[in-house]
Amino acid sequence: MQITIDHITIDVQAGQTVLQAAGSAGIPIPSMCYLPGYSNHPSCMVCLVKDLNTGHLFPSCAMPVSDGMNLSASSGDVLDARREALELLLSDHVGDCEAPCRLSCPAFMDIPRMNRLIALKRMEEALRIVREDIALPLVLGYICPAPCENACRRKKIDEPVSICLLKRVTARDAIVRSTGLEKPEKFTGKRLAVIGTGPAGLAAAFYTLRRGHACVLYDQHEHPGGALRYAIPDDLLPKPMLVADIDSIYALGGEFRLQCRVTGELWEREILPGFDAVILATGFREEYPVEEFGLPALEKGLVIGKKSYTSGKTGVFGCGSIISEQLLAVRSVAQGKMAAMEADAYLTGKTNIRRKPFFDSVIGPLMTEEHKEYVKEATKEPRTDPSQGYLAGFSPDEAVREASRCLHCDCRKPVTCKLRIYADEYGVNRKKFAPAIRKQLTRNLQHELVVYEPEKCIRCGLCVEITRKEPELLGLAFVGRGFDVRIAVPFSKTLQEGLEKAAAACVEGCPTGALAYRSEK
Amino acid sequence: MSQNEQNIHAVVDQIVAECGSSTEAVILILQAIQEEFNYLPDEAMERVCAITEITPSRITGISTFFGQFRHRPAGKHRIRICTGTACHVKGAMQVVDAFRRELKLTGLEDTDSQGLFTVEKVACLGCCTIAPVIRIDSVTYGQVVPERAGEILRNFLVHRASIKEETSPVVSTGSNGQGEIRIGLGSCCIASGSSEVKSELEKTLVDAHIQVDVKQVGCVGICHQVPVLEIVKPGEPAAYYAKIRPDEVKEVVLSHFRPEGFFNRFKTDVIGLFEQILKDGSSGSVRRYQVEERDTPVTEFLGPQINIATENRGVVRPTDLEEYKRSGGFEALSRCLSGMTPQQVIDEIAESELRGRGGAGFPTGKKWQLVKEQAATQKYVICNGDEGDPGAFMDRMILESYPFRVIEGMIIAGYATGASEGIFYIRAEYPLAVSRVQEAIYKCNEAGLLGVDVLGSGFSFQIRIFKGAGAFVCGEETALIASMEGFRGMPRIRPPYPALNGFRGKPTLVNNTETFAVISWIIRHGAEAFARIGINGSRGTKVFALAGKVNRGGLIEVPMGMTIRRIVEEIGGGIAGGKQFKAVQIGGPSGGCIPASLADLTVDFEALTEVGSMMGSGGMVVLDEHDCMVDIAYYFLSFTQNQSCGRCTFCRIGTRRMLELLEKIRSGKGVPDDLKMLEHLAGSVKQGSMCGLGKTAPNPVISTLVYFREEYEAHLDGRCPAGKCTPLIRYSITDQCIGCTKCAQRCPSEAIVYQPFEKHEINQELCIKCDICRQVCPEGAILIT
Ligand SMILES: Cc1cc2nc3c(=O)[nH]c(=O)nc-3n(C[C@H](O)[C@H](O)[C@H](O)COP(=O)(O)O)c2cc1C
Ligand code: SF4
Ligand code: SF4
Ligand code: SF4
Ligand code: SF4
Ligand code: SF4
Ligand code: FES
Ligand code: FES
Ligand code: FES
Repeated sequence: MQITIDHITIDVQAGQTVLQAAGSAGIPIPSMCYLPGYSNHPSCMVCLVKDLNTGHLFPSCAMPVSDGMNLSASSGDVLDARREALELLLSDHVGDCEAPCRLSCPAFMDIPRMNRLIALKRMEEALRIVREDIALPLVLGYICPAPCENACRRKKIDEPVSICLLKRVTARDAIVRSTGLEKPEKFTGKRLAVIGTGPAGLAAAFYTLRRGHACVLYDQHEHPGGALRYAIPDDLLPKPMLVADIDSIYALGGEFRLQCRVTGELWEREILPGFDAVILATGFREEYPVEEFGLPALEKGLVIGKKSYTSGKTGVFGCGSIISEQLLAVRSVAQGKMAAMEADAYLTGKTNIRRKPFFDSVIGPLMTEEHKEYVKEATKEPRTDPSQGYLAGFSPDEAVREASRCLHCDCRKPVTCKLRIYADEYGVNRKKFAPAIRKQLTRNLQHELVVYEPEKCIRCGLCVEITRKEPELLGLAFVGRGFDVRIAVPFSKTLQEGLEKAAAACVEGCPTGALAYRSEK
Repeated sequence: MSQNEQNIHAVVDQIVAECGSSTEAVILILQAIQEEFNYLPDEAMERVCAITEITPSRITGISTFFGQFRHRPAGKHRIRICTGTACHVKGAMQVVDAFRRELKLTGLEDTDSQGLFTVEKVACLGCCTIAPVIRIDSVTYGQVVPERAGEILRNFLVHRASIKEETSPVVSTGSNGQGEIRIGLGSCCIASGSSEVKSELEKTLVDAHIQVDVKQVGCVGICHQVPVLEIVKPGEPAAYYAKIRPDEVKEVVLSHFRPEGFFNRFKTDVIGLFEQILKDGSSGSVRRYQVEERDTPVTEFLGPQINIATENRGVVRPTDLEEYKRSGGFEALSRCLSGMTPQQVIDEIAESELRGRGGAGFPTGKKWQLVKEQAATQKYVICNGDEGDPGAFMDRMILESYPFRVIEGMIIAGYATGASEGIFYIRAEYPLAVSRVQEAIYKCNEAGLLGVDVLGSGFSFQIRIFKGAGAFVCGEETALIASMEGFRGMPRIRPPYPALNGFRGKPTLVNNTETFAVISWIIRHGAEAFARIGINGSRGTKVFALAGKVNRGGLIEVPMGMTIRRIVEEIGGGIAGGKQFKAVQIGGPSGGCIPASLADLTVDFEALTEVGSMMGSGGMVVLDEHDCMVDIAYYFLSFTQNQSCGRCTFCRIGTRRMLELLEKIRSGKGVPDDLKMLEHLAGSVKQGSMCGLGKTAPNPVISTLVYFREEYEAHLDGRCPAGKCTPLIRYSITDQCIGCTKCAQRCPSEAIVYQPFEKHEINQELCIKCDICRQVCPEGAILIT
């Protein structure tokens, strides 16, 4: 038997579904409510394809193949219909993919995960999370003005979580700093020069090194650190802290050429021929005229591609104040990372997937009742003041106490949630069908391992089937019909009673963040 | 265990012993539990799970899916307020509000604080011609005005002791050649008081010693004239007495039949006067029509009709097997069994070009052929009598009035397709249909028409009834089958079609009730005779429930291809009250509104689809200038939205978003972009939904947007031209007011101050637009703008 999808003819067997047939030919079709091994009742409708003979759309996950089918899985109307399915699902969905604090962090640090790990006293893992996005945790732990705390949802209840100090505490221990370094497993053999060792340059070097490239940092001063060292007083940022963060770059294999000003001549003679890529992070333009290098610049600074950080010359990138004046160190650190990712992509011939911010289903302000739902998962304690003073920061116990105040505003499946993945892929407009009044969100924390957030559920029924197959004694059930249908435990029993055995399978099977592990694995 | 729990367990154990403990029995068990406790106590359901193979997940899923099941105790009496289409256009929502107000119900409450009454909205009680209709327990009240809500409740409480359920068949007094009196006892007739008429009739006959056959027949079709008495005497034309009241029965009877014996004659001479009046035709109280007279409403109403599914309408007793046989019943079956091969039967049906009456019009012969060709040893025949369209009651009427005809059709289908079991799927809200079909099945079994070796032919066929639990979507064949198998009534993707893979995975023939009802006629008269009726592509007749703003509503069976105009003007007698004919809504929630300008359109499958409507189940609601098309669209969409099974995204969420847009437009808050979005979403929902419910739900919206766009635009400007959409209208009092104070006394929200002999005023802030003042004002001084 044969069918045709997007002009590709595929040999199929009776009993196969169109989705399976497409999969066998490598034709990508999104699917959410489909799980191999289950009865797959179509519900999400993101797997729609078009029958070119009739012009009708149908869900490919449930449609058995029949000889001579001629289908389209990529025409404009098919993609539009899938996008609308996602947009409709999102119009009935309440959840933040990422917590508001993270969204307002210029470096996009995963704050709630860090908080959860600190609360679990897993400091090294917490530091790893911080270092995903922040190369200088101690430095920023002192001098960041913490826009994240301004966005913290806990602020509406009492006071924001002390995020900045928590971040600092993750890097306080020298041993943790070193064991949590995540050195590259292999080296690429590529060489990269970073000009300037301020916050942007240090961050750029940090991530370049972690990607397995060799990295040489140039600076005209005697010590690395740039503005961090020479413009910030010691009572704000104690020098040993800066040194400790810079030591991590040494530990990663960074090579420093200090007291070496890169001139036009050096640029031509040594930099260009000697390196595969260059990241310019020289700080203020007045102090460093980039015209010397023959690069186009405007009054505010070096001209670079908005998202690509590439200057006029291939392989040359720029970040920090050299592209325009940066008032926040954290922003320079963020740019350093982005430039490094771009340079890495350039060196390895890949694309930087982080260039475009990932789809986010933003709730906006919470209703009063919703705050109550959120507080269920946090301690009622007021904000912790470090007993040894601000400069000393939190003791480990204080850190745990403070981190336990976090409301966990993020979704706990931000990476695997298919709704998010496809929403991103299909470029949805999440507000297209948004109702005038959104649903009120709830959090079911009755289960020790699982959090159930019904307003993220797409009613696919997979969890119901999973509990049936297990079999659970109580399990989960559809309650109601139509728009109001929801998933609940029969006879108003608790989630703990409903999921005695199948909790993990349900979390794995649920295509969204509706059923997720409460805490870090 | 508490006493109460022990008691519940005992009851449940008993029920399970009777219903069985398989998964398939779940609906049956739940129906029995609800019958017992009037709701479903958790303890009872948990007990079911403990002693059967039904899981908590399943019982929860099922019991919350179907409208029939309650999870909170109900009041002692249930007030079922019809919000079907015909009732809706006659103000059912205001009736609902009035009863809720009267019982002081707020929010989601449906039962008053004393637990006396529970208010429920239901779709079509089958008495559309006396809309708006409510039913309290088994007592039906028609033409209910909101203003009378309190009065009705009091009336019910006073009289309820004397009211008993009127579903039991009545035995006739035996034929004696004097002629017979026929009385319609269809649901609609009973609702209009025919059982009172019947008891009065029986009393009269006994008192006057008149020996005449009183025959209880099914629906007579002229539902707008019920209760109807028909008097048939040998050698005389039949006489119809329409809208007859119990107190009129005696005079009518005595005008036709002479009491026996001198003494009786003497006694009745005292009232001989009445007879005189009647014969003179000068009695104004009783409307009498004779079919022989031309141009009377009854001939106009019945004349253009052809009765095939409703053959012998108003003549036969529904469950009288002998009579059914006398009028040609089971002739077709014996012809099939004795002289035709299954293939010949199918060929005959195929040649008749019969198309399924369930809505989509799939060729019946072809469907039978498909089932026949399957090699399975076990096959099923299902009669789809779910009929969820809120404005239609044809199938119910057919089941109530002609159960044998449908059974005969099913047996023939079983023979032709090789099935051995037939199942009636009838909704539990149709108790009369269920009991009549039950009785008919019993009689057929007794007579050897069902069971092993039907009529000695070697062919065996069983029939049973499955009572559906009230979900419109269960009319869809795959959902219907799912619910019979003990699953939530959710459609699945087709293919495979039920013909290949249906009930219990076996080949299954699903046909509509009316489809089965015409089978025997086709076999008896031949395919050609059937194909001569109707027009190309749509052969034979179709039964419609004609209701709304026509003078004469009722169940009609007309040849396919009759124009809308003829149906509305000739059969329906035009628009009531001299109003302007605006549109006709055909096909219920899946159909569309056809404007008066297209009245010359023929009613057939293709023509209706072309103009954006659909044959659907056959609801036909006529609308006049006072009906707002935005409101009609909103009405139908809120029905389908509410009935969506909730499986697929486009239907579950899309219809909801559409409804919200309509609500916005209807309340005057819409902007032009909302119309565009509505149109766009309508297209997406149609295209992306999986089953027919979602695929057709946008039809009422799309068709009104096409034909009545200016009405939508008027709403954007804050006007409802028809004066229907409450947020956009205001009630005021004109100078015609004489200060009688009636409105002030009745206004439930004290929006009118009591000012004897002065012109009254309505406080707009307080007015809730209940319409009561307009109804009570003797001067017509209340104005809606
Ligand atoms: C939402 C929905 C409701 C339906 N309701 C009914 C119904 O009440 N009665 C019916 O006979 N068919 C109904 N149908 C059509 C059935 O699926 C099926 O096509 C029909 O019973 C086949 O009978 P026929 O071939 O005799 O028309 C419905 C379909 C849909 C999509
Ligand atoms: S469920 Fe998916 S889309 Fe929703 S908040 Fe979580 S990650 Fe985002
Ligand atoms: S409560 Fe926690 S997750 Fe929420 S905004 Fe504050 S720090 Fe972020
Ligand atoms: S909670 Fe269950 S029904 Fe909801 S999305 Fe997850 S698996 Fe599907
Ligand atoms: S279209 Fe509506 S009723 Fe039909 S399967 Fe989808 S959700 Fe259910
Ligand atoms: S009922 Fe009519 S006439 Fe009487 S007071 Fe009210 S408006 Fe005036
Ligand atoms: S409908 Fe096919 S994957 Fe959901
Ligand atoms: S703003 Fe993100 S760490 Fe301060
Ligand atoms: S009885 Fe109300 S719509 Fe039919």
